Amino acid sequence: MLVSLNWIRSLISCDAETDEISRKLTDRGLTVDAVTRHGEDTVLELDIPANRPDCLGHVGVAREIAAGFGLPAPTPETASPSADGNKMVEIDDLAGCPRFTASVVRGIKVTPSPRWVVDRLEACGLRSVNNVVDASNLVMLETGNPIHFYDLARVQGARLRVRRAEEGERLTTLDDIERELSADMLVIADGGRAVGLAGVMGGAETEIREDTVDVLVEAAYFDPQTVRRTARKLGMHTDASHRFERGADRNGVLAAQHLARRLLTDLAGGKPELELEDLHPEPPAAVQRTLRGSRVATLLGYRPEAAEIKKALEAVGLSPEEAEEGVWSTTIPSWRVDLLREADLVEEVARDLGYDRIPAMRGEPERLPIGSRQRAADQAEERARDLLAHLGFHEAVSYAMIGPGEDQAFVAAETPAPIPLSNPLAEPLSALRRSVLPGLLKALDRNIRRGTRDVRLFEIGHVFHDRSTGLPLEPARLAIVWSGASAPVHWSAPVPDVGLSDMAGVVEAVISGVTRNPAPPRDSQVGIDAFHPAISASWTADDAPVAWAGELHPAVRDRLDLPSGIFIAEIEIGKLAAGRPLPAQYRPIPRFPSPARDLSLVLDAGVRFADIRAAVESVPSPAPSAVDLIDRYAGAPLEEGQVSLTVRLSLHPTERTLTDEETEGYRAKVVQRLEQVGGIRLRD
Amino acid sequence: MLDALRTIEEEFRAAIDEAGADPERVEAVRVRFLGRKSPLTALMKQLGKLSAEERPAAGQAINQLKKSIQQSIEEAVEKAAAGALEQELQDSSVDVTLPPRSPWRGSQHPVHATRRELERIFRDLGYTIETGPEVEDDFHNFQALNLPPEHPARDAQDTFYLEGDRLLRTHTSPVQIRTMESRRPPIRMVCPGRVYRRDHDATHLPMFHQLEALVVDKGISMAHLKGTMDRVWKTFYGEQVKTRLRPAYFPFVEPGAEYDISCQVCGGEGCRVCKQTGWIELGGAGMVHPAVFEAVGIDPDVYSGWAFGLGIDRIAMMRHGIDDLRLLVENDVRFLSQFPT
Ligand SMILES: [Zn+2]
Repeated sequence: MLVSLNWIRSLISCDAETDEISRKLTDRGLTVDAVTRHGEDTVLELDIPANRPDCLGHVGVAREIAAGFGLPAPTPETASPSADGNKMVEIDDLAGCPRFTASVVRGIKVTPSPRWVVDRLEACGLRSVNNVVDASNLVMLETGNPIHFYDLARVQGARLRVRRAEEGERLTTLDDIERELSADMLVIADGGRAVGLAGVMGGAETEIREDTVDVLVEAAYFDPQTVRRTARKLGMHTDASHRFERGADRNGVLAAQHLARRLLTDLAGGKPELELEDLHPEPPAAVQRTLRGSRVATLLGYRPEAAEIKKALEAVGLSPEEAEEGVWSTTIPSWRVDLLREADLVEEVARDLGYDRIPAMRGEPERLPIGSRQRAADQAEERARDLLAHLGFHEAVSYAMIGPGEDQAFVAAETPAPIPLSNPLAEPLSALRRSVLPGLLKALDRNIRRGTRDVRLFEIGHVFHDRSTGLPLEPARLAIVWSGASAPVHWSAPVPDVGLSDMAGVVEAVISGVTRNPAPPRDSQVGIDAFHPAISASWTADDAPVAWAGELHPAVRDRLDLPSGIFIAEIEIGKLAAGRPLPAQYRPIPRFPSPARDLSLVLDAGVRFADIRAAVESVPSPAPSAVDLIDRYAGAPLEEGQVSLTVRLSLHPTERTLTDEETEGYRAKVVQRLEQVGGIRLRD
Repeated sequence: MLDALRTIEEEFRAAIDEAGADPERVEAVRVRFLGRKSPLTALMKQLGKLSAEERPAAGQAINQLKKSIQQSIEEAVEKAAAGALEQELQDSSVDVTLPPRSPWRGSQHPVHATRRELERIFRDLGYTIETGPEVEDDFHNFQALNLPPEHPARDAQDTFYLEGDRLLRTHTSPVQIRTMESRRPPIRMVCPGRVYRRDHDATHLPMFHQLEALVVDKGISMAHLKGTMDRVWKTFYGEQVKTRLRPAYFPFVEPGAEYDISCQVCGGEGCRVCKQTGWIELGGAGMVHPAVFEAVGIDPDVYSGWAFGLGIDRIAMMRHGIDDLRLLVENDVRFLSQFPT
């Protein structure tokens, strides 16, 4: 809200400098965002909080300034309703319109406004239209109560009725837009039709024109929720709706009437009729509130003097009476719609004495818990983050919103449909992700297009799986994308590009790093479209997949217009993090030599390393055994599809040293077993 | 005899000097002067020709010379070995200015690194870290926070809506509600996390990160809020930082405040960053509104509490001197790699 200091000075006698006024207002919670000059005037741009509609007019701001400097508050004049009004108005809907005042000013002449009016309006960011329209804006900007003028001659039957709109009823508003109304909207109607959207905008039919002579002045109080719902439904936000939906001053309508009638007289030569109709069938009882000094002390952490409390409340127009020692009772003025509870009055005291008065106390009462352990899930995520960063991956953050269908290829077939946003900002951000990978691949694409060849990114975040009722599941996922070199590039030797083996190694490092247990067995079935059917792997624990990794499927890659050689992985980090890993348990270091034997094997097409491992493990061994792959070769002189593997068998006795005969005997049995598998033969 | 010894010694000194540190030539000198055909061996053989009186002195003289030669040769051998090693070391020198084999250095996103730092400070002070769903219902995101339907303060929180009574949370405050629903006071918690607002321009992203702190117990006051805030920011920025509260309105706190810290660029003197005020606004704070306590079944006449919030992204940007918000979600490796772990 733009506030003219000239205007303020016409309401209170304040000779403080602009800087002082600015600081005072900011200290009282009305933040001054900017100070500008406007001709002879100084304009403050105020950030008025949503609970202070009283400060959406100069009188309210003047009250705050007066309170801040200990000056007398402004005293707006009010009009007196006639005991027996002229019965121009009927209210059908008291809930929507609890109070309506109306009066008539006759014989006005529509002309341009005088200079001082133009200046004031412009200082406050409004353009001058003519003396009559300007008068209504001046009233709103001074009192904070929006009012409306009707051209009486165009009001059918010279009568107004406040009612709900009929479903589908049409009304052309002042901005010349024809609007279709619904039954929950409140309108002002005349003898025939709707002539205004209550508290939002008047109608075009009855607006003030060059030839207007007689004016019907409306100053009413409309229900905030009704106004807000109407305005929002129609996509409107006006100076009037802004004030009404925050809560106008229900009793301020009489001051608004007074000012309106005076301005129409002064600016347009009008003659107000004596009658002022005030329809207010159920005036609310004055609001009475109690403030305990003890409550002030509890909430602020210090106890102001009784006199300070009293003065603070009086400064903002309250009338505190000390009902008993340290307890005040006060009437709340009609314009302070925000003062509903004792805590609100505590804030008034705190504001007046300044927040700097509040002491800074170290430490809370003794009984609060001290020290807290990190939760298992957070700990797991932190470990994964550290591990991946140490392995050379960069942590990314991407939106949880993606384009519709963008994640279709990245989720298992049984995944529930994505959750669409009802009001997305844009199509590419219109559904909640079910996989973190599409966002990360977008980031990878951006990096490659900007010339970075080696891209290693990871992200930990939630994905969203809808359920038939209630809130969706939000499992935590860790996704990795990797393109380019498989290891740091160095001049000493060429480095191959990333392959499945590299990505699988990282995935297993994360799984075992998070769980402090070896990764579960690797499987070749991924079953998610975006993964290359042959160059991919998955890991399953407790019958559920916990990780999947592989090369991006060529079809998906082409669709996304990405280069080849991109590896992707996604890990159910939430599942892995379910339990806090136990401390690692010590096992004795073997005290006996571990004999080893190398076997060079030729495998026919289709035979896998896992077949060798299974065969070896099925042979009874004289001590715990292990099998490691130490070399792999394909090419001449082997046949197409064949590979040669050199595996190392080792035995790790815990009780005694093994004899050569025992080791040799074990080797022989393994060879025999391998030859029974089929497709495996010992290389000579 | 003595003349002969003197001649041998002179010849030996000349030979060993000439051999220098060459191991082969030292060996040749050894064979020549200590071998079976050496002049000393020949002299020994002549000892028998001497008289019994002369013999002991002559024998002693020969032995003395032999020992002296042996010692000199040993020294020469050692010197030769050292020379050989020196040569080997010199021959094997490499260009140390060649790039070494450096392991990769990954990075942690600056927003997460900042979040982690803040969490650590609060954990050290005894706070629990709480999280909650990002998809929320109207009750937890608004109504329980004293934001009933059609409340004008909802305007400030442009909301993404989903089917049903669901939305993307606009702040982390619903986590406070869920924590108070599930646990009785005393409560001392922080809730960090992603939040969403329907806003996208140079200074707003539709997704960002918040952290809120909440303390609820008997006798909690705004003085505790001030003291804690002071402690937290001094730990985060250093002992020189000052904090202050200003009155402000948030529906879920009363009295409500905004809080500032002294500008870390100019130290409070006033500069471009703080718009000459010497202060940087960090977020909202205040005493938990009684309506919030009522919504979660805590008696506001028995308990009181404070809460404050902050935007992690903004603090991360200030901390690292990042001047463009969009960098935080572009995930450009050239940006991310500037924050190695
Ligand atoms: Zn500064």
